[in-house]
Parts: sequence; structure tokens; C-alpha cells
Amino acid sequence: MIDVSRVDYWAANGASPLHRASAWSKLLFVAFIVASAVLARQPLPLAAGIALLLALAAANRLPLTAVGMLSLYAAVFAGLYAASLRGGIAVTAVVLLKAVMPAFAVGMLIVTTPYPRIFAFLSSFLPEILAAGLFMTYRTFFILLDMMHHFGTAIRLRGGFSPGSIIKNAGNISKGIGALLVRAVERSTRLYAVMSARGYSGSMAEPTMGGVNPFDVPPIAAGLFVLMLVALWR
Amino acid sequence: MTHMHIPDGILPVWLWLSGFLLMAALLAASLVRLRGVDRMKKIPLLGAMAAAMLVSMSLEILPLAYHLNLSVATGILLGPALGFVAAFIVNLMLALMGHGGITVIGLNTLLLGAEAVMGHFFFYLLPKRMPVFWRAASATVAALLLASLLLIGVVAVSSVNAEAFSHEHGHERGNALDHGTEAPETVKTFAVIVLTLGSLGWIIEGTITGAVIRFISQVKPDLLSHVLHVKPGPEAGGGNGR
Repeated sequence: MIDVSRVDYWAANGASPLHRASAWSKLLFVAFIVASAVLARQPLPLAAGIALLLALAAANRLPLTAVGMLSLYAAVFAGLYAASLRGGIAVTAVVLLKAVMPAFAVGMLIVTTPYPRIFAFLSSFLPEILAAGLFMTYRTFFILLDMMHHFGTAIRLRGGFSPGSIIKNAGNISKGIGALLVRAVERSTRLYAVMSARGYSGSMAEPTMGGVNPFDVPPIAAGLFVLMLVALWR
Repeated sequence: MTHMHIPDGILPVWLWLSGFLLMAALLAASLVRLRGVDRMKKIPLLGAMAAAMLVSMSLEILPLAYHLNLSVATGILLGPALGFVAAFIVNLMLALMGHGGITVIGLNTLLLGAEAVMGHFFFYLLPKRMPVFWRAASATVAALLLASLLLIGVVAVSSVNAEAFSHEHGHERGNALDHGTEAPETVKTFAVIVLTLGSLGWIIEGTITGAVIRFISQVKPDLLSHVLHVKPGPEAGGGNGR
């Protein structure tokens, strides 16, 4: 899994034009790119689309290695799938490019948009319990990661991990997970109580569609251009 | 266990669209069931369990490189309706972390949600006199087996026609992923792999879920006693809905 805290840092601290674009425009950009991948039948328009995304990412000085690794992760599974099709180079290329392009677009979205802004947008049309659940999951995820890191260190220092001894490892991990769950529930209950006391009203960020600004044009235009390219080049 | 690492643009449109529609229907039914629940207790528990599922997916059991997902533990602790909601949140978060495609959120939620829902029912249907560890472990193995059969079903109906990609220029080409020509041999091989290697995973997940649920029943039994699954009374002070 990707390093979510690092992605969070890039998203919150960047100042590129893509960072300044609204969350809705970047989500629309991702939707266009996903639609392009679904419609595509040829490798060349997909390759052209990826080249455009790369240029957009480079122009905005996004962490290309991290975003590229994210799309390569998708490529690994697509590669296995393509191999099972036994359809030759053309089929393999289409399957790989179909997988890489949306994954790259999602990578561009998450390194330029803090998760709370994405959730705030989604809160506009998601039921309250889902919106609140998303925020609580996001908050608790980092608490749990931190606790898990400490647990991992502690169990290694005390000789709790023995490579090759599955039963012992499973037993120790189970106790650790159980303890973490109990503590996570307690901490998130406390957090929720504090938020409620401070006037929590069903969402941890203002549900907003976000305004329209000039920085919304490049992602929407890029997504639309790739979609048209794929639709026309069939 | 049954989380499809399939990127976008691979599965037939009708399949992932059906997945989204079915997921939306089940999610709506779950939300209707959850109307009026004590949000003060439910939402933190939902967040904690969904986050635990995400974290456990990053844990590997050495030397098998198997990763957990705690879906059945989530179903047992949250109940079927909230367990399904947790499965949706986990899959949405995974897609937003670039871990799996956006188009497969529906199908993945159905698979993961099925584990949570079936795990919950199996756990509460098994005789109460059975030790908690064995009830949870047996429920996990049974739920994962059924979810794996669902996964095989999804793969079987998503059979693709690789030849549709390699037609000559100028011919009417179909989207290879929209053509559901049968590939029974591939599906059979996939089924054999999932059911043989998967069974090892079910045992690991069952053992760990059993131990986790036993641990919780010892240190915080109220999480298992369905205290959290009742609607708040006027004196409970919860469910403020704010």
C-alpha cells in the first residue's frame, strides 16, 4: 500500500496550479480518464493520453516517481491479466495502458487534493452516515497506523516475530490486532464525543461543491481532450 | 481475501455497472436499517473497523505474504448493515489510494460486504456453547469460502475475447472486454487456484479472526454483546443525529 501520510503531505503543501484547482474539477478529470480507459480499443490514443498526463504532471512539478509507481502497481495486475489472455502484443499493450492511465490520473488527484477536500465534496451528496464514516475512517487510519508501527517495533524487540513460525506469528499478530481494535474504538469514541460536544453536524468538513476558478480549466480540458481522442480514434 | 486487484478499463461495462447498481441497492437497504441507531456509538466503531481493515490489508503474515482483511471480524462486531457500509468505505478509500480501480468499487464492495454479512450470520447462527474462537474461526472460513465462490462467478461471467483486439484495421472491432465469450478452461484453472491456495488463506484469516474475537470477548465483551446494536432509548442520550 502507498505511503498515505506522504501523499497527504504533498497534497496539503503543494502550490501548483493543479493544487489550486477545485476538488470537483479534478474528480471530473479522473472521471473523464476512467471513461477513456473504458472506451479505448487502441493502444496509440491511450499512449497519447498518458503522454498528456505526464506533461501535465511535469508542468505542475508533481512527484512523478510516486505517481508513476502507483500506476505501475496497477500495471502489475493488468500484466498478469493480459498474460492470461494470450492475445499478443497489441492486446497486452491495450490492457496495460488501460490500467496505467486511470491509475496515473488518480495519483495526480491524490497528490494535489487533500483527502478532507475530496470527502467534503463527496459529503455534498453522500448520506450523513457514509460521509461521517469516511472522515472517521480517515482519522482513525492514521491513529491505527501509528499504533501499529509502535506495536511492530515492540513485538520485534521482544522476539515476537519468528520467520518460519506461522502459528507463533499469527498468535502474536492476533493479540496485537485485538488490542489495537479495542484502543482504536476507545479513541475514536472519545474523538467523536469531543466533536459532538463542539457542534459536530454530520460532517467533519463543510459539505461543499467548491467554487469555479481559472485553475479548473486545465484538468477538465485535459480529461475531455483524452476522452475525445479515444472516442474519435477507434 | 476476495478483493479484486483489477484496474479500470478491464472488466466489461455491463458487469461493473451491475456491480455498482447492486451495491447502491444494498447500501440503501443498509442505510434504511441503520436509521435511528445510536450514532455516538456506531460511527466511531464504523471508523475504527474500516480503518482496521485498511491497516490489516497492509500487514503481511510471513513467510506466506498473505494479507488479512478482517471483513468477518467487522461483520461480527458491526452487524450486517454497518458491516456492508464499512466494506463500501474501505473500497472507496482503497480506490482513492490508487489500490484497485474505481470501476470495480461496486463489485469489490459486494465481495467484501458478502464476507462481512455472511460472517456475521454464521457467527450468530453457530451454537452459543461453542468456544468463541471456534465460532469466529468457523464463521470466517465459511464466509470466505462462499465469497471465493462469488469471486469465481464474477470471473466466469467476465470472460473476455482477446481476439477482438487483434482484428485488422477497417473491420468492425468490438471492445474485447465487452465480449463475453466463454473461457471455461481459464475459469476452471482460476477456480482451482483460488480454492486450493485460498483455503490456506481462509485458515489463516479464520485463526486470526478467531483469536481477535476471543481477545475482544475477554477484554471488551460489550462490543460483542450487541449492546451497540440496539436503538438508543430516551435515556441513552445518543443518536443525536447532529
